[in-house]
Amino acid sequence: MQQHSIMLFFMLLVGIGTIFFVSIFMSSLKADNDSTGVKNLLKKRFWFTLILIVVLGIFAAATLPKSPYFTYANETPSTVIHVGTMQFSFFLSTKPIDPKSPSGETIEIPHDQLVEFRVTSFDVNHGFAVYDPSMRLITQVQAMPGYVNNLRYKFTEPGEYHIFCLEFCGTGHPVMQTTFKVI
Amino acid sequence: MNIDSLKLKKISALWIIVILVLFIASIVLGILMRLNQGKVIEQSPLTFYTNMTTHGLTMIGIWFAAGMVAVNYLLQRYVKTSYGVNLFAFILTVIGVVMLWVTTYAGKFSTGWTFLYPLPFRDLGSESWSTPLFLISLTILGVGWLVWSVSLMAQIFKKYTLAQAFAWQHFKSNPTVETPPFILITTVTLVGVIASLIAAVIVIVLYFAEYFSHGDFVNDALLMKNLIYFFGHTIANEMLYLGLAVIYEIFGEVSDRPKWKMTWYISLAWNCAMVFILTAFFHHLYMDFVQPQALQIVGQLVSYLASIPSAAVTVFSIVAAVYGVKVRWSIVNLLFFLGVAGWVIGGLGAVIDATISNNIMLHNTLWVPAHFHTYNAMGNVLFSIGFFYWFSTQYVDKLVLSKLTKYTLTLLIVGGIGFLMAFYVAGANSIPRRYSTYPVELTSGPYLAKVGALFATIYLIAILIFFYNIAKRCFVILSASSR
Amino acid sequence: MFRYFVCFFALTCFSFLGYANDNHSDFREEQNLYGKIYNAPLGIVGNNKVSSVEELYNQKPLIIALVFTRCYGICNPFLLQLSENIKHLQSNSDFNILVISFDPRDNLQDMTNLSKQYGLENNLQWNFAITDSIDAFINSIGFIPKWDSVIKQFDHDALLVGVNEKGLITKNLLGIRIVEDVHKMISSINNVFTPSYRLPTKSNIFSCFNYDPKTQTNRPGLGLLFVALPAIITFLIVTIIVIKSKRTVS
Ligand code: HEM
Ligand SMILES: [Cu+2]
Repeated sequence: MQQHSIMLFFMLLVGIGTIFFVSIFMSSLKADNDSTGVKNLLKKRFWFTLILIVVLGIFAAATLPKSPYFTYANETPSTVIHVGTMQFSFFLSTKPIDPKSPSGETIEIPHDQLVEFRVTSFDVNHGFAVYDPSMRLITQVQAMPGYVNNLRYKFTEPGEYHIFCLEFCGTGHPVMQTTFKVI
Repeated sequence: MNIDSLKLKKISALWIIVILVLFIASIVLGILMRLNQGKVIEQSPLTFYTNMTTHGLTMIGIWFAAGMVAVNYLLQRYVKTSYGVNLFAFILTVIGVVMLWVTTYAGKFSTGWTFLYPLPFRDLGSESWSTPLFLISLTILGVGWLVWSVSLMAQIFKKYTLAQAFAWQHFKSNPTVETPPFILITTVTLVGVIASLIAAVIVIVLYFAEYFSHGDFVNDALLMKNLIYFFGHTIANEMLYLGLAVIYEIFGEVSDRPKWKMTWYISLAWNCAMVFILTAFFHHLYMDFVQPQALQIVGQLVSYLASIPSAAVTVFSIVAAVYGVKVRWSIVNLLFFLGVAGWVIGGLGAVIDATISNNIMLHNTLWVPAHFHTYNAMGNVLFSIGFFYWFSTQYVDKLVLSKLTKYTLTLLIVGGIGFLMAFYVAGANSIPRRYSTYPVELTSGPYLAKVGALFATIYLIAILIFFYNIAKRCFVILSASSR
Repeated sequence: MFRYFVCFFALTCFSFLGYANDNHSDFREEQNLYGKIYNAPLGIVGNNKVSSVEELYNQKPLIIALVFTRCYGICNPFLLQLSENIKHLQSNSDFNILVISFDPRDNLQDMTNLSKQYGLENNLQWNFAITDSIDAFINSIGFIPKWDSVIKQFDHDALLVGVNEKGLITKNLLGIRIVEDVHKMISSINNVFTPSYRLPTKSNIFSCFNYDPKTQTNRPGLGLLFVALPAIITFLIVTIIVIKSKRTVS
């Protein structure tokens, strides 16, 4: 549930930020004519900046290796699912999809096995976003005309998964969806 | 009062009235969208997407223009600016916006404000003439704004040398000439504005090239996406910087505090910001695995880096100006202060989303509108409205903090927070952005949309009160004579 | 301003050059990916130690070329290009090549002659082979040659199949291909993950990057210039403004 932790983390930051700004505001209301405000500003600024740089550096170092371009890169997938997208439908198939007469098939993916989705588009940009049975977004990639994007994923939970389009592609965008099963 | 400055005041007052009217209209469109997503009203997808496209383009256009109006007005304190160019930009902006509304409402043009290639060529349901008309209206806006930015920049360089305008002399100890922070930020921002407008021009040229070649020439989707976000991301960020320039210039004087001084670290921070902001747009392409990985990583690092100068310098400056000292609070500096808080919080949401491993869960969910509305609706808009107040009251009225103003501010904050929270929670619930209605499986979508619509209406009430106060005074300025 | 319009105009004209670059890539190349190749028993020219496909790919990842010796058509140019490409590789030790006949009439002597034709009979990296279970083998690849009894020839694709050390097909290449594509195949049989690749289009000249599998990096393409163009033009504008305003001051 990465989204939950993201939301929690964000709310924490917002809380800190709010307290920070409110207390600064309050301090100015309390101040009288002789108050001098912050002392040693340059020093404080220096430490603040340094801490910020270190924190951001740690964040970058911790998160960058988790980027989708590096996950599962050293394993060989057990199946390839070809994904063709078109205003306003998805075609999923274990066989390559002919752009001139695209067709899909019902997909069942065994769990705990690495699959590779090869995603492309036959017209405009689309999105390929996989939602788990509890309707949570678990992974996604863009479908761009002229390019094939390879998205690897290992499904752990059996069940029915939904695919939604996450790049605006015209009036039918919100109805563009399909499903597959993990067994 | 001298005739030149009266002319400038009148055109600025005119700008402000037009901007606020368009703002209110666009908020109404926003509320309509939320109501439709909440299933309170029922509009066709085509209507929804024309509303969305109009809302996005108009909002970006007017708040960019608002920043330029404020900067142009205050720049007159240091250098002479051209009234003619300002008027020219005004006329082209009005023509451009009217044409935009014609393409969206009469032509049913509905590609979203990013008009991502090749959607304008395959925009189902729209009139065939709407795509070229859209490109023409963008050209008109682009030319008007480009001429305006270049003209302001030229005026700055008439007085300041290259090094002075970018405050490079402050890297040495005891500089002989001090560059006002306002001049530095304006110069830095204009560079970014010009770059983003040129990106737009290239996109438009490439679109026209394909349009007139009748299929002989086909653009590359990856290149177009890079260029479009170069334009879109950069202009959306630079318009915030225009607002910050205004704060640096007038926060001190409205608060009865000393004016902010230029130092080496302010100079360093803004010079860095200028560079970072031109490459941060790569974070819009994280989910395009075709983009080389080096650029993806640069995207994340630069997005992080971009937050350092703003946090360490601008936020710190406002803290230093307020913390533990007596400040004469008025609606103007309250809006500025609140706006900085909104900007920071929106920035936190943005940094989270600019992390590639989070982006895979958040990309194109409502988290994206959540964070950019935070630093627009609760950030940049407040900067500009603060300026509008200051501008309209400086000769006409006195700044007092009345009870009504306090209530209005409360409405603004409550409405704003509720409206934004509905977006954030939906984003964390994986609700996609740009859906006219939500699939039945995404159960929390419609519910949160209703909450959003309700709070946005509260926000709108506050804006209407502000509009009444500001427009009333602007009309007085418009009818003033030079004697 | 005039200067920039000239600049834009030149670039726009330039952009019309974006034709050509006809590539033979094809969606059929995506067939049977990560499927297992059939473990056919092999008779290999000048090599008695190895007697099956599995033993070959267990040694090193494999590039398989499907040919027949009586071919009047594509087989010869195809093999010639392949041997040229392999010769031009900087490091070509991390894979082997299997040239296998799908024509039941071919015997070891035919294959020996074929290898001599390219001077490869003593090259240990190259294995010229026949098998008695060719049908199962080509079925596992999805390769379907059609026999034309009038001209007594097979109607077939020129196909290269990349197989990793586990015997899984990781990439196919159809037609006669340039060395860059062979590079991509070698990366893939050595299990290097490429998150993305482009499909052949008219506008290759415009792509931002050309992937260079030799160094596994992206070389900047013409498109990148376009992405950098706004910054470059802005720089020019600022420079010109500064120079012009100096003139008016003095
Ligand atoms: C209270 C006022 C506002 C309301 C109610 C509102 C509402 C909305 C809604 C409902 C959307 C569509 C969200 C979706 O993707 O499903 C949207 C998109 C957008 N809004 Fe607002 N908004 C407001 C203020 C602003 C402001 C001040 C800006 C300033 C820049 C702005 C800029 C945008 C942009 C650029 C989009 C994206 C349009 C697109 O996806 O093409 N909005 N807004
Ligand atoms: Cu879509």
